[in-house]
Amino acid sequence: MMKQIYTRLKPIITSVLAGLVGLAGGAIIMALWGYPPIAAYQAVFSSVFGSLYGFGSTLAQATPLILTGLTFAIGVRGGLFNIGAEGQMFLGAIGAVAVSLISLPVGLHLIVALLAGMLAGALWSMPASILKTTRGIHEVISTIMLNWIALYLGMYLVIDWLGDPGRAEKSISAAPTARLPGMLSGTSLTYALVVSVIFALIMFFLVWKTTLGFELRVVGQNPGAANYAGINENFSVHSTFILGGMAAGLAGALQIVGHPPTFALYADFSTVRNLGFDGIGVALIGRNHPIGVIFAAIFFAGLNVGARTMQITAGVPLEMVRIIQGVIVIALAAPELLDFWSKLIPGIRNWIGELKGSS
Amino acid sequence: MAHKQPLEQSDTEILLRADGISKGFPGVWEHLILDEIDFDVRAGEVHTLLGENGAGKTVLANILSGFYSSTGGKIFIRGEEVKLNSPQDGLEHGVGMIHQEVMLAKPFTVAENVALGTEDSDLSNPVSRVEREIIELSENYGLEVDPTVKVSDLSAGGRQRAEILKVLYHEPRVLILDEPTSLLTPQEADHLFEVLRSMADDGFGIVFITHKMEEVMEVSDRVTVLKLGKVMGQKMITETDEEELTEMMLDEKIPIHLEREEFEERNVALSLNDVQVTGPRGNVQVDGVSLDVKEGEILGIAGVSGNGQSELIEAITGLRAIDMGMLTIQGEDMTNPSTRAVQDQGVAHMPEKRREIGVVEQMTVGENVVLRNYRDPPFSRYSVLDRQAITDHAQKIIDEFNVICPDIWKSETRILSGGNIQRLILGRESWNNPPIIIASHPTHGLDRRAVSNTWELFITLRDKGSAILLVSEDLDEILSLSDRIAVMFKGNIVGIVDADSADKNEIGMMMTGA
Repeated sequence: MMKQIYTRLKPIITSVLAGLVGLAGGAIIMALWGYPPIAAYQAVFSSVFGSLYGFGSTLAQATPLILTGLTFAIGVRGGLFNIGAEGQMFLGAIGAVAVSLISLPVGLHLIVALLAGMLAGALWSMPASILKTTRGIHEVISTIMLNWIALYLGMYLVIDWLGDPGRAEKSISAAPTARLPGMLSGTSLTYALVVSVIFALIMFFLVWKTTLGFELRVVGQNPGAANYAGINENFSVHSTFILGGMAAGLAGALQIVGHPPTFALYADFSTVRNLGFDGIGVALIGRNHPIGVIFAAIFFAGLNVGARTMQITAGVPLEMVRIIQGVIVIALAAPELLDFWSKLIPGIRNWIGELKGSS
Repeated sequence: MAHKQPLEQSDTEILLRADGISKGFPGVWEHLILDEIDFDVRAGEVHTLLGENGAGKTVLANILSGFYSSTGGKIFIRGEEVKLNSPQDGLEHGVGMIHQEVMLAKPFTVAENVALGTEDSDLSNPVSRVEREIIELSENYGLEVDPTVKVSDLSAGGRQRAEILKVLYHEPRVLILDEPTSLLTPQEADHLFEVLRSMADDGFGIVFITHKMEEVMEVSDRVTVLKLGKVMGQKMITETDEEELTEMMLDEKIPIHLEREEFEERNVALSLNDVQVTGPRGNVQVDGVSLDVKEGEILGIAGVSGNGQSELIEAITGLRAIDMGMLTIQGEDMTNPSTRAVQDQGVAHMPEKRREIGVVEQMTVGENVVLRNYRDPPFSRYSVLDRQAITDHAQKIIDEFNVICPDIWKSETRILSGGNIQRLILGRESWNNPPIIIASHPTHGLDRRAVSNTWELFITLRDKGSAILLVSEDLDEILSLSDRIAVMFKGNIVGIVDADSADKNEIGMMMTGA
């Protein structure tokens, strides 16, 4: 019984341990450079949990990370290294803004905006998918290129076609009929969080409980076996890209319709930039599992939110948080280290057992 | 093969001794894989470890050579207790292991593989010295390998010789070989036995692992029988016989019934007409094969591996394109169909590469049980998988086909032994009495009991009306199971004979193109 629980918890334990290693690594680096690690972590903790505002901001920042994390996680499950969430998310945001050019009733307008974001994200994932299935071009190359194309295409669209006539630095705002209401007054948290959590649950269902997800995972683990089982590999690659693109596109759309106060896209893309890449780290910490990704995104966002307070109250540079995130990702990504965990965990269990035995 | 005079036990040095070795895999198996095993090997002897699949032979060998650590017991090398933490440790102490699955880097040459993991290479041309030494070693031991050839271009036998040379390069005293003959032709196996014998005569201690009785009798000086992780007995080969060893190895004797029903009228289920298949480099692999397999018939394809059997099966199952000719399944033209279309036409496929494509090792047993029919009710409805239905089905197959697995949904399939994976595939492909079964080396690597169970299963399926196309390198299997035997050589069917009037030698001659 204990063993079964342990087997199930193992991915979670590994992630939590990696998180602790990241925090400890960050502490060591801070100490080496003469910053106060304890004060810094106190600042992070209090900024996230110390106020409703901080907690709300954390969840608000976690919202898009859940979705871009899903893009990468689903990709890995389907055998892809899809790092195109960034570009797909940009296009999703553009799609949601564009829908505000038309007028629709309340509710419907919101749904159309979200669907437009998902559609745009999915479409932007297709070139990579088609290049891979027809020409054998690796998705890492194509998605990186598409990310840059998306950025400059997006800037052009925001400035030339979707620009706010009164304010040159941003696009038009999402129509009031297409906005998501706030969830926690006094904070930037909106019901976008609920939308992304529901989307993550739907992805969980799709990937683990349906034949489509079954095919996706077989192709991801063993294309040869997929072939033998009569699974159409190309179809599965397309599905993986499309699902990932929908997640990223939705992230972009939510950054418009669920992101007060402007509900708009800035011409420099400052409100969406890097969210796609952060999703890769989130997916790794969440062990490429839709539910794990939710918690990992909150953890990641907590660090980001706390970083500012840390700089102000403890005088530790903002970038320290990036170092911590980096250490965590390295701790999780290096297979040798994973092997090290698998040996360390039984070691710790034995040690605890011995302690119990001797007392 | 002539045996040397039996060694005087007391005179020869004990090279390696295991004392009370135990092994459990926590979290995977509840019982111990090895339960206080005592074992030793002396200079100058071939000591055989005999046992069925899952007896723990490979695990013991891995512990003795440092690949695994034991959970209990001690290892002594020439009287001194040692702790082997890695294969390198083992080699440093003079214990080298040849694994069942060859562990060489395929894109590199033999010499480069040998040089891997050694420190004494020249800076300018790191492998030149190694090449010279390999040539020397291979001449000394009669292990013919060209060190400059890439491993990917070697035959199974050549790869194994390369692997042996790689270990010999480290100058071991004890050589452990895990089922070394499983991929070899009979001639290659005979040659290997000669090499082992001469090495033993040179003072090596050889540990030879097998589950084949003929090999035990042919090569061993001493034999230790393992069963379910326990030593059942140890004998000098001169003091025992096949019957006694078999009794020690198995619980009971299992008769093999190969009687079968007679059918009057039978329809042709699978038909090939002048089928030609070309390989990736434009070389013709299957060169105009015509065959009919009837309902209620087992058609065996005999042949030395690499004569187009794999390509033929891949062509029939939609995994490889047919360039010319026609394939008819159940009366329908299925030339170049999709794999799924072949499957939907009622063709079950037990592939040769079980671990590689027969299962998805990283997925659970439950998922692998429905790998090929997850779309069919009751396993899924409206594209949603029915976990309960899959669980019930998996449990049925596990029970009926004796698959040992800790848990349907928690165990990844990779932890299953080769035999269990094969039983899983047999169950998955045969539970619904498919009209056509394509089976490739279905008993390869299985122990005697599993072989006879599989044979019974095939006969039962045949009697129920399945058309079975059986490819095997094991001529005894072909002879016991088939109604008709087609012999394949260089992509051609060189002859089809009735099994009841077939002569083993004659088929053997045809297999070699004579």
